[in-house]
Amino acid sequence: MQAGALAQKLGGLGVARRGLRGWIVPLLFGLALAFPWVAGDFYVRLAIEAFLLGAIALSVDILLGCAGLLSLGQAMYFGLSAYLTALCYLHVTQSFWLVAAIVGAAVALVAALLGAVAIRAKGVYFALITFGVAEIAGKVVHNTRALGGSDGLIGIPVPSIGLPGIEVALRNDRVFYYVVLVTVALVFLGVSRILATPFGSVLSAIRDNASRVPYLGYNPFWYKFLAYLLAAEVAAVGGLFYPLLRGFVGPDLFGFEISTQSVVMALVGGVGTLIGPLVGGVMITFLQSVLGSFTERHLFVLGVIFILFVRFLPGGLFGLLRRGPPK
Amino acid sequence: MLPYLHFVLLPQVIDGLIIGVALALVALGLTMIFGLLDVINLAHGEIYMIGGYAALTLIGWGGGYWSAILLVPAIAGLAGWALEELGVRPLLPRPDRAVVTLLLTFGVSLVLRDLAQVIFGTETYSIAAPVSGVTFLAGVPVPLYRLVVLGVGVAAILVTWWIVYRTRIGAVLRATAADPDMTASFGIPIRLVYGATFFYGCALAGLAAVLLGPIYAVFPTMGHDFLVLAFAVVIVGGMGSILGAVVAALLLAQVHAIASLWIPPVWAETLVYGVMLLVLVVRPAGLFRRMGEA
Repeated sequence: MQAGALAQKLGGLGVARRGLRGWIVPLLFGLALAFPWVAGDFYVRLAIEAFLLGAIALSVDILLGCAGLLSLGQAMYFGLSAYLTALCYLHVTQSFWLVAAIVGAAVALVAALLGAVAIRAKGVYFALITFGVAEIAGKVVHNTRALGGSDGLIGIPVPSIGLPGIEVALRNDRVFYYVVLVTVALVFLGVSRILATPFGSVLSAIRDNASRVPYLGYNPFWYKFLAYLLAAEVAAVGGLFYPLLRGFVGPDLFGFEISTQSVVMALVGGVGTLIGPLVGGVMITFLQSVLGSFTERHLFVLGVIFILFVRFLPGGLFGLLRRGPPK
Repeated sequence: MLPYLHFVLLPQVIDGLIIGVALALVALGLTMIFGLLDVINLAHGEIYMIGGYAALTLIGWGGGYWSAILLVPAIAGLAGWALEELGVRPLLPRPDRAVVTLLLTFGVSLVLRDLAQVIFGTETYSIAAPVSGVTFLAGVPVPLYRLVVLGVGVAAILVTWWIVYRTRIGAVLRATAADPDMTASFGIPIRLVYGATFFYGCALAGLAAVLLGPIYAVFPTMGHDFLVLAFAVVIVGGMGSILGAVVAALLLAQVHAIASLWIPPVWAETLVYGVMLLVLVVRPAGLFRRMGEA
């Protein structure tokens, strides 16, 4: 298929009628398609990592931008998914689809249990609960010898994805890149579609005025609950591929660093724009890598970016493209 | 049974008490700032860290421990005041101030932690205790210095309670927490109240850092590790509650100290967060009420 045509089709599906963004998404997708042909192996692998981290940022945005819930523990679903994926490939099965189904179901279960608790808390308390739970999960994994303790799990085999009539071997970096790109693009389109439905409208209404929504006959709980489930699954998509990229998983995947970094990505790209967090994810990941080769002070730079964006550009980069005054 | 209680349990309880008091100082600052401004100061741990390095530097210059205990809270307080003045204040009018200030203070914490690594390196330093020797408390040997921590810490907590509940300044503080607009309309300079709250809360963190310096150590992530614990305290006690912060600090420190007898310390720490989670589920607003609420 022609790359441009595909991109146009994808762009037309998800984000039509949004002014500038109508062509920016297909343009970015086209650039992403061309990327492995101009960049070296190192950067292709970095881009894969960027997309996977971008997925967590997208997951943060579903909660923060659409439902007004700040999660400081979204990395937990990334870590949970990564560990389950690693365990499945190491001990259970080599079938990509089976692993995806197991991980998806397990994450849904955990998110349902936790969501039911966390959603009841308002505002800042939601942020604190998510933070606290992720912290506990990370510590439990860190302290559990069966899960490799602080060393994590190593030697994760890289599987092939069985599609009708074809086996896609993820060993090849370029193939892996396109698989991740298409997956993340599909996730993005899916999320865009879901949030463009009345469900998304109710979520926005809850974000803007939570106390008025019940009077319109909607129960905010179920909407927030489903948004929470959706966000958890999106973060889990990142975790499904990450162990295959790195070959190992460690307890830091649950950690505060990744959780907050994903909030930075969402913030830099533009909260509430969905595409912004993905772009922010790519930008921050590359920036950290480039800076990391010059200096060890990448946390410092991350902090400064954070401060500058919160202070001067709260809408993020894509917020600039929006019409009307920033929120 | 009795010897077990006396020689195994009691020392842990005393240890927990001392750590709990220091923890309460950090948690008090966090909870006061939240109670007044709706700001979760994620840089609070780094203010504590600044306190640790300030003490280290002052003592290194030959200032002596006792001058550090007087000066460091002022330095940490000034750092907190600067954070409020330059970083937090411009964001206060925003409707989502709880979220944006949380993000901002998080950015500040990253920068400060990294700066500490640049200036002081990643080594751990220790501060020499100003008093040595051991005394006996109910038959249990306790280093004399730990009694100093206990005494100074309890005094600081009492002073805080006295200021908030028995002085005119405290009345202004509580009024501001209850209704800032109404308080401002009485001619109270709210901005000054906010700045002073940040100063005082951060000064308490600085004091805690000087007190704990000789017991723990001074290193770049000291604040980060401690902040997570202080958070658990504030959540359990109730965000914005003075009494809650003190009670929860003592309680969680005991949970940690006593549980450490039977399970590895890392799991004891996990248990502390488990207690926090339980409180969040059962009583999301914490055990005690926010100051300024009747």
